[in-house]
Amino acid sequence: MPAFSGFLVFGVLGLAWFATSATGFVSPFLLPGPFTVAQAGWQLIQDGSLAKHAAISLQRVGLGYGLSVILALPLALLFGLLPRLRSFCEPALEFLRQIPPLALLPLLILWLGIGEVQKVGVIVLSCFFPIFLGALGGIAQADPKLIEVGRICGLSRGEILTRIVLPASLPALVVGLRIALGYSWRALVGAELIASSAGLGYLIIDAQNMARTDIVLVGVLVIGVLGLIADALARCALRRSAPWLRSQLELGRV
Amino acid sequence: MFEARNLGLRYTVGERAFAALEGVDLSLPRGGFTTIVGRSGCGKTTLLRLLAGLAEPSDGELHFEGGGRPRIGYVFQEPRLMPWLSVAGNVGLGLVGRLDKGALMRRVTEALQLVGLSGFAEAMPDQLSGGMAQRVALARALVLEPDLLLLDEPFGALDAFTRRSLQMELVEIWRARGTTIVFVTHDVEEAVLLGQAVAELSEGRLVGLHRVDLPYPRDATDPALLAHRRTVLERLLETGPNSHLKETVP
Repeated sequence: MPAFSGFLVFGVLGLAWFATSATGFVSPFLLPGPFTVAQAGWQLIQDGSLAKHAAISLQRVGLGYGLSVILALPLALLFGLLPRLRSFCEPALEFLRQIPPLALLPLLILWLGIGEVQKVGVIVLSCFFPIFLGALGGIAQADPKLIEVGRICGLSRGEILTRIVLPASLPALVVGLRIALGYSWRALVGAELIASSAGLGYLIIDAQNMARTDIVLVGVLVIGVLGLIADALARCALRRSAPWLRSQLELGRV
Repeated sequence: MFEARNLGLRYTVGERAFAALEGVDLSLPRGGFTTIVGRSGCGKTTLLRLLAGLAEPSDGELHFEGGGRPRIGYVFQEPRLMPWLSVAGNVGLGLVGRLDKGALMRRVTEALQLVGLSGFAEAMPDQLSGGMAQRVALARALVLEPDLLLLDEPFGALDAFTRRSLQMELVEIWRARGTTIVFVTHDVEEAVLLGQAVAELSEGRLVGLHRVDLPYPRDATDPALLAHRRTVLERLLETGPNSHLKETVP
């Protein structure tokens, strides 16, 4: 029933969109109707350009997101193990966290050029902190009562970390991973809007320059759908690999 | 024999110092079943944590026969099971990497049999009742084959029937294995029902050690047991902060 009601919202929004455009309440240039957008989408599918742009964007998101995970998790673990190192580095990291990655884009273009590295770099900057802070918070909040059980069972410090602290930190880490997944798409479009010749962001900005609002909407909708699919896949993987979190997933806690 | 000599633990809040435990001398005979009884906050759990090495004493020392620290099993007030591990995974937590897989599974299976949970090795903690979860916690402590088994009000949150059944099972396990047991409770009836000796703790001090020389299995309605209960209760009421309640002892 909750899944059905979720789709129902899409149906209601679609109807409202249809009604708004059919009655001429808003100019079709500003808001083309659903059929016009569907037609534009079908054309982009037929000539293969939608698949090409989507594949390039997905590749960038995958790379940037993966790199963020590779960087953020070990660092969070290190900070969890060495609280002094954490307090030493925390002000600098907190300073960096406040800076929107897109504000660094001009510098990234200068330093890394206008190729793939700069776009992936923006995604890494966007995704790093949610994953890092999620993991760090999870490690810090691991139930000390469970750690005591590990001590009584004779586990070493390393064993307590890998066999108790890390699994216990998973709910907070998952929240960070899911937030970062959303951020990765935002950053991607930001990066592709500037100095790009392919990708969904480029598709949108190119359509805007050609005054094709219908294609802009196709790009926006495809990004939303891809984001939803990515999140659903992440939840599905989590259900399979961490069945004890299933109830928390249903309650929307992770 | 395990001995606590002049054991104490002090802590400070702001500039004020408090003694959670003070001058406790206690001998635990090898293979014996000692219960520690007292009001909430009298220092029972603190004493158990010191015995387990989970806290460091401010005063005094612990002496273990034969030198080094004994193997310790600990059952907490709540089961404290790892939600991501199956029942078998929880029970074998302290043995992974120390035994080969076959030996580990044998020990886990044996411990689960001992607590009556043979068919539940693959179950997850959220599928267990409170009594079953506490049984798993007991199996997790027993699988380590401890020299000293410490139990901190392990049955306090259970219903009367489950509690009684677990009490009987614990006594059976103790009689079969001969493990030295220290069992903390605030329930005087439970203390005299289970223990060969009842250590009475009040406001951080050991105020008495009462021997219960009755055979096992014991009957909670046995007049001799009730007499022991009355003696322990009277001593605790005499020495505790509410000593004016003495005349209300049934």
